[in-house]
Amino acid sequence: MAEELLKVRNLHAGIDGKEILRGVDLTIRPGEVHAIMGPNGSGKSTLSGVLAGDPRYTVTSGSAIFHGVDLLALSPEDRSHEGLFLSFQYPVEIPGVTMVNFMRAAVNAKRKYLGEEPMSAADFLKMMRQKRAVVELDNKLASRSVNEGFSGGEKKRNEIFQMAVLEPRLSILDETDSGLDIDALRIVAGGVNKLRTDKNATIVITHYQRLLDYIKPDVVHILYKGRIVHTGGPELALELEERGYDWIKQEADQL
Amino acid sequence: MNAIEALGQYLVLVQSNPGLFRDDPPLLARLRQEALGRLPGEIESYRADKTIPAECRPDTMYAPDYGINLQHLEMTADVASAFRCGVPNLNCYLAVVVGDVVHFTDSMLKAPEGLEVYSLRNVPEKYLDMAAYIGRRGDSLNALLLSDGIYIRVAEGYEIDKPIQIVNIFNGSTPMLTPRRVIVDARPMSAVKVLLCDHSQSPDTPHLASQVVNVNAAEGAHVEIYDIEEAAPATRRRWQLIAEQASNSELTVSSAYLHGGVSANEYIIDVNGDGCTTNLSGLAICTGQQVVSNKVTLRHHGQHCTSRQLFKNAVFDQAHGAFGGRVIVEEEACHTDAAQTNRNILASPDARMDASPQLEIYCDEVKASHGATTGQLDERALFYMQSRGIPRDEARRMLTQAFMTDVIDNIGYEVLRQRLHVLVEKRLNGDAASCSTCATACHSNTTEQ
Repeated sequence: MAEELLKVRNLHAGIDGKEILRGVDLTIRPGEVHAIMGPNGSGKSTLSGVLAGDPRYTVTSGSAIFHGVDLLALSPEDRSHEGLFLSFQYPVEIPGVTMVNFMRAAVNAKRKYLGEEPMSAADFLKMMRQKRAVVELDNKLASRSVNEGFSGGEKKRNEIFQMAVLEPRLSILDETDSGLDIDALRIVAGGVNKLRTDKNATIVITHYQRLLDYIKPDVVHILYKGRIVHTGGPELALELEERGYDWIKQEADQL
Repeated sequence: MNAIEALGQYLVLVQSNPGLFRDDPPLLARLRQEALGRLPGEIESYRADKTIPAECRPDTMYAPDYGINLQHLEMTADVASAFRCGVPNLNCYLAVVVGDVVHFTDSMLKAPEGLEVYSLRNVPEKYLDMAAYIGRRGDSLNALLLSDGIYIRVAEGYEIDKPIQIVNIFNGSTPMLTPRRVIVDARPMSAVKVLLCDHSQSPDTPHLASQVVNVNAAEGAHVEIYDIEEAAPATRRRWQLIAEQASNSELTVSSAYLHGGVSANEYIIDVNGDGCTTNLSGLAICTGQQVVSNKVTLRHHGQHCTSRQLFKNAVFDQAHGAFGGRVIVEEEACHTDAAQTNRNILASPDARMDASPQLEIYCDEVKASHGATTGQLDERALFYMQSRGIPRDEARRMLTQAFMTDVIDNIGYEVLRQRLHVLVEKRLNGDAASCSTCATACHSNTTEQ
C-alpha cells in the first residue's frame, strides 16, 4: 500500500466553544480522490477549514499528519507551501489586489519557502497563461482585483486556476459545485481532472452526487455530527442520492 | 512658560525689534504687517480648537524653542547645489527650498511663456497687490516670521505643460522653525500642476515646518496641488492649503503622508463661483508614534458646484490619525453636489483614529453625503491570502496598499500616480521611502541610501 499523504486521527475541533468535529479519522494516499458528503451542519466545511488553518476554528484534540509533517502546528501559509490547497466555498473578494500581484506573491512565497529564487516576470506570465487554459479563465480577469465582480462560475474557475498554479499535493474542494451551472461545473471538474496525477490527491466536499459524475471518487465518506460514520466506494454516493441521509442518521444515532 | 506665552514671544520679538526686518521686501512687509494685527486674536482662538489632536494644535506645535532664520541666511547652500535629479530629463520646473531659503534650478529658467515664478522677495511691483491679496489668509505666525517663499503666476489661457515641483528640505543641527509659503495665482482659463515634496536630511533635529499654500483659481482655471510628506520623526509640520475658486474652476488637492512626526494639515477651500469642481484627497500611513491630522473646511457659495473628498488613513502601532471634515453649503449655493468619504484602518490595538465628518447645509436644493468608517483589515481576506501561501505580514501589507489604491488612482497626473503606488508599497515594506525611489522627483546625494 502506498504511503499515507494525510492521516487524520481523532480530530476534535469547534468554533466559539461549540464542538463541531468529534473525532474524525481519515487516511488519504497519493493518487486518490475522496468524497466527503453529509447533511447540512455535519462539519464538512469545518473539517476543510481546520485542515487549511482557518483561525476561526479551534482544534481541541487529535492530529493531522501531512506527508510526515504535523499539519496543525503550521501557519496557513506554511500548510500551503507544504502542498495543501483549499478551494473555498465562498472565494473572498479582495478589492485593490490584482490577480497578477496576488498570484505572484503566492508563487514567490512558496519558492522562497523552498529555498528557490523568485520567478522571472516572463516565466511567471507564461505560466499564468498556461494555467488559465486549464479552466478556460478569461485573460481579462488577470488584471482585475481578486474575485471582485467575478460571476459565481468565474470565482470557482479562479479557485481551480490557483490550484493549477500552486500544484498542491492535496486539494480540498469545498462545495466547489455550489452556485455553478452545468457548463461551469463541467469546466471546473474538467480542470480538476486535468490536474490529477498519481502523486497528488483530492478531497471533494459536496452535498450532491452530481459533481461526482465528473470527478470520480475512489472513496466516499459520510460525515455526520462531526464524525465519519460511513465509508464506501463510489456506489455509496449513488445510494445517498437515492435514499437521502435519513438512513445514515438513524444508523448513526443508534450507535 | 505656557504654550500661549510661547506663541506670544514671537509677537513680542517682532514688535519690540522694529529693525528686525530692515530691508524687508515689500510683499513680505505687507504680509507681516497684516499678520501683526491678526495674531493676538488668532492665538486666542487656538485654545478653543478641540477638533484636532493636542499635538497638532498650533499652540502646542509652536511652543518649543526653535531658532528662526530672520536674516535670511543661506547656511546650507551646498545642500541645494548637491541636489540632483535622479532621473535624466527631469520632467518638471524645479525649485528647492532649503530651510526657508528658495533656490530655483536651471529648469526654472526654461519656464515656458505664460508661467512666471518668483521668490516672494522679488515679486514684481505689478503683481504685488494680487500676491498680497491671495496671501492675506493663513497662519499669522507663518506670515509674521516669513523671510522667503514662492510666487507662481500662470497667465490667462495658458496651460503649463509640466508640473512645477517644489522640494522642501530641512538640514541642520539645531532646532529650527522654517516658515514656508507658496502663492499660486492661476489666471482665467489657465492650467497648472504644483507638486510639493517635504524632506528632512537631519532626521534627529527638531524642525517645525510652517507651510502655507495660497491658491487663487480664477474663472475656468484648473489647478492641481500634490503634496508628499516624507520627513522625519523629529519633524513637526503645520500645513495649510487655502484656496479660492471662481466660476467654472477646477481644483484638485491630493496629499500623501508617508513619513514624518506630527503632521497637522488643514484645507480651507472657498468655492465662490458657480459650476466649480473640487477634489480633495489624502492618504496617510502612520506608524510608531506618528500623529497625522487632516482638517477640511470646504465652503460652497456658488451654484451647481461639485465637491468630492476622499481621505484614508492606515494607523499602526501607537500612531494617531485624525480627520475632521466640515462641508458648509451656504444658502445661495443651490444644486451643490458634495460628497465626503473618510475610511480608516486601525491596524493595532493601540492605534487611534478620530473622525468627525460634518455637514452644514443651509440650502434645500443640494445633494450632500458623508461617510466615515474605521475598522480592521478583513480577516477573511487575510486567511484567503495565507491559504495561498502569502505570509500574513505580506498579506497585511498588500491589503493596506489595496486600501489606499483608490486615493492614488484619483490622481490625474500619471507619473505621480505610478510613483506613489511604488512609494506606498515601499513604505509598507518598511523600506526607507527615500527620494531616490521617487522618479517624479529627484534625489539629493545626501539623502540617498
